Amino acid sequence: MNGWTGRILRVNLTTKKSRVDGFDEAFARKWVGGRGFAAKILFDELKPGVDPLGPENKFIAAVGPIAGIPAPNTGKTVVAAKSPMTGGYGDGNLGTRVTEQLRKAGYDALIVEGRAERPTILLIEDDKVEFLPADELWGKGSYATNDWIYARYGRGAGVLNIGQGGENLVRYAIVRSLEGRAGGRPGMGAVMGSKRLKAIVVKGTRPIPQADPAAMKKLGQDDLRKVHEIDKQSGWSIQSTNGVLAWCNEVAALPVRNFRLTHHPEAWRIDGERLNEARVATYGCPNCTMRCGITIRDHEGREAEMDYENIGLLGSNLEVFDLDQVGSLNYLCDDYGLDTMSAGATLSFYADAIDRGAVAGDFKFGDAERAKELLRLAALRQGDLGNLLAEGSLRAARRIGRGSEAYAMQVKGLEVAAYNCKFIPGMALAFGVSPIGAHHKESWVITFELKQTSRESYGPEKAQKVIELQRIRGGLFEFIVSCRFPWIELGWGIENYPKYFNTITGLDWTLDDMWRVADRIYAMIKLFWLREFPDTNRRLDYPPDVWFDPANVDTEGPIAGRHLEYDKYDQLLQHYYDIRGYDRRGLPTKATLGRLDLGAEAAAAEKFGGLT
Amino acid sequence: MVKVTVKLIGPFIQAAGWSERVLDVPEGTTADGLVAAIKLDRNRPRIVTRNGAAIGPDEPVRDGDRVVIAPIYSGG
Repeated sequence: MNGWTGRILRVNLTTKKSRVDGFDEAFARKWVGGRGFAAKILFDELKPGVDPLGPENKFIAAVGPIAGIPAPNTGKTVVAAKSPMTGGYGDGNLGTRVTEQLRKAGYDALIVEGRAERPTILLIEDDKVEFLPADELWGKGSYATNDWIYARYGRGAGVLNIGQGGENLVRYAIVRSLEGRAGGRPGMGAVMGSKRLKAIVVKGTRPIPQADPAAMKKLGQDDLRKVHEIDKQSGWSIQSTNGVLAWCNEVAALPVRNFRLTHHPEAWRIDGERLNEARVATYGCPNCTMRCGITIRDHEGREAEMDYENIGLLGSNLEVFDLDQVGSLNYLCDDYGLDTMSAGATLSFYADAIDRGAVAGDFKFGDAERAKELLRLAALRQGDLGNLLAEGSLRAARRIGRGSEAYAMQVKGLEVAAYNCKFIPGMALAFGVSPIGAHHKESWVITFELKQTSRESYGPEKAQKVIELQRIRGGLFEFIVSCRFPWIELGWGIENYPKYFNTITGLDWTLDDMWRVADRIYAMIKLFWLREFPDTNRRLDYPPDVWFDPANVDTEGPIAGRHLEYDKYDQLLQHYYDIRGYDRRGLPTKATLGRLDLGAEAAAAEKFGGLT
Repeated sequence: MVKVTVKLIGPFIQAAGWSERVLDVPEGTTADGLVAAIKLDRNRPRIVTRNGAAIGPDEPVRDGDRVVIAPIYSGG
């Protein structure tokens, strides 16, 4: 079997034992890697209803056949577990040297089980697995943790770590790596923290198994050069992801004031031009051709690595328009190991709830200094307020009551990323049907909606486009595992990816083969949700109520007076289900599951909710 | 002549050397005509919006319009 090591390392923190499980080519072809491996393993091995923050949950780091190979932007690893944020399947990807090192150590995935007695660093060096004390790191931020590990194991080591947020089980704690990389929005850092796992360090020395290493080396190096050249010509990296902020502001898609507004006259102060002007350094992931980590000096003079989602949710959505102050909030989230998006959206929800009299408090939109203090309280779970904010917006709303759940900006418990869909039905659908909650990484259809159809449309073409993008973004890139940016931002041909895959594995797959795996994984994740929520229905795939609220419309600008409509959204959702072969509850039908070779999984899920 | 405010987004700023200007253009100037007048690469995929709504390449701009010319972003 080429392209895979055929080995999964299983580590138990309770017993301090490890073993290597093998897998065969049939498993590899069916699930490929990354998200595919993670979803299948979690479905098979987790008992329904386990506490996401208990020792029964499992933390997975998984790579794919392309991951770590010198080729365009292959430095990503998928981290996954049952989500403390949503209670369903959770995952995310991040750029890290773990990608290459895990493969060189001889593994395609790592499963971490149990709970350590004391804070622990898991050290993996080829076949050697060690459980090292991390007492002196417990309570330290992510930056100090990373530096401590680099000092002992070298900068070439693969490192995943958590900050205080993960230690204190903040439900939106993420996993961190390198200078500013983060992943696992649905609380993957909290799962590490629940296991008292401060960090994972990986070093490997073996060659990565490939069908034709010489051909892959030439192909990969040629394409690294080509994609880098395209980026230079296009100028994308000048503003990186934050180029989109000014555009969102112009087309009424920017989150402002807990998504109450869609644009703001001060937005230019935190846009991509200002970010580029303030740049002091640029960082990227391993094998990156288009480094997107623009770093600025924050208000306290520290380096803060920014991108659009961070600035949208910690900046405009909180009405903080001083870029250095947004940098400070960004830095604190990174150091505490909090998801910038959920942290920003939770604070903005809290400010909104105070504004509307739902809860008493002293936090106001625009108050950056108080926002810093609130992040600290949440990360350390200090006091009632820290504990409220550490739960995320949905749980906070349920505790506050008074109708505030309508403006907790989340889907399935995960906060909406930085695109305001007050009147963008297709993107609202993309958030609604994302398999991990409202994440933009699965599908992004806004330019399609504005340019190739109409904003007003709720037609099947939008549902079709969401699925097409899910197959590529949430499917292909998450299971082969590779960064999507060369394709999405530079137009690097999608046909290059089967080429890499086939050169490495010796197989002869087409894009249609890839889409079939993608559809299988999406259906598998639906079954995971069904098992956790047997009374699941299509409401789980609805965006926040406030986007449908006629009282919440813009009073001026491009979408003045407009809002989403329930009956039309429901029809759009039905188009999505129909194309996917899902029933009216939003579950794959038995016929669909059979077509995707998921008969055994369907039988296992059947008793939880009457598949049709 | 009609007066339009043109806002450029992302890499188009470096290509043109400015990010926002009020321009006088002949009446009937289309979205594509505006792109040509600014000397942006016409082969580069883009989305042009007028007052926040997308317009086609042959649609004329009007006096007082705010026209935004952006590359095709894909949302990070």
